[in-house]
Amino acid sequence: MTATTTYLLYLVFALGGAGVYFLLPRAGRSMGRAGAIFGVAGVVGLITLLATQIAGPDTSFYFYLFATIAIVAATRVVTHPKPVYSALYFVLVVVAVAALLVLQGAEFAAVALIIVYAGAILVTYLFVIMLAKQRGSAVYDHRSREPFMAVVAGFVLMAAVAGRASDLPVVEKTEAISVQDTTQTESPAAASNSMAVGTLLMTKYVVAIEIAGVLLLVSMVGAIAMSRKKVPVEGMVTKPKPLGQAGREVAPF
Amino acid sequence: MTGMTEYIIVGAILFALGLVGFMSRRNLIVMFLSTELMFQGVVVNVVAMARHHGNLEGQAFAVFLLAIAAVEAGLALGMVVMLYRRRGTLDAEVWSAMRG
Repeated sequence: MTATTTYLLYLVFALGGAGVYFLLPRAGRSMGRAGAIFGVAGVVGLITLLATQIAGPDTSFYFYLFATIAIVAATRVVTHPKPVYSALYFVLVVVAVAALLVLQGAEFAAVALIIVYAGAILVTYLFVIMLAKQRGSAVYDHRSREPFMAVVAGFVLMAAVAGRASDLPVVEKTEAISVQDTTQTESPAAASNSMAVGTLLMTKYVVAIEIAGVLLLVSMVGAIAMSRKKVPVEGMVTKPKPLGQAGREVAPF
Repeated sequence: MTGMTEYIIVGAILFALGLVGFMSRRNLIVMFLSTELMFQGVVVNVVAMARHHGNLEGQAFAVFLLAIAAVEAGLALGMVVMLYRRRGTLDAEVWSAMRG
């Protein structure tokens, strides 16, 4: 990237940052329309800049499509005042990111992302959102905490990463590519990305896989220990407590 | 290696949006959704790096990232349920004992 491109990128980021700032929920009059205008300008500028200056001419049209979907949906996750809608927009982000991974030839990671995120994690989030539903819409969903400083910090970080993104050193190919090559010679039909990644995970990273399994077990035990409470026996009469007191008397684990 | 810069930029944008959401929203569930958004940005970056280096290590790392994200979601939601039972609200400001 030339210096001009970098400064144009910073300008686009500033537009997007202003859009996010105006879109964040705030007390008083909503500035959503101004935010939408700035946001659309930022996204259009970013896509134009990516297409004309940064990406190569052989970049697929689908990259721009799914990048746009991911960025717009991510903005709505952060700015939507209703948590249920935030979670549903997050599903859209996951699907778009999975498409971006497929475009990079990482089918296994894409499918795992869909199954684990959209299938499991998001259902848990929606479950907790429904469980902790407030009557009407809560006041804290319509107020942001220091939106200006948050936007400045986030977009300075973004500019710092993205401004240097093209300066990464070109490295030589390492030996792990041979995993892919051996699978291709063994059976061309099964020489897929899934098989190559699976071979790598089950040979070089087998200990790490085991540790990840133990970590999942530990987190399951921790989640149960944190959120357990006394369940009343059938027929036992308990005086209902006010909602703020309900969890106070739980014995430590 | 062609075609890495634009993916890194998209990943950086997703990460920064997640950071903004985590710092500015007050709903505990939306705050943790924003951390998941940051994970998405990291996954995009890691896979782009893997293609840049011409190997599969980044894709293997993405699988570990998924495991960590599942762990984080489980623990965070357990914590959110516990905090909700204590105070009956999802507002993060209720727990700011130190008034930072």
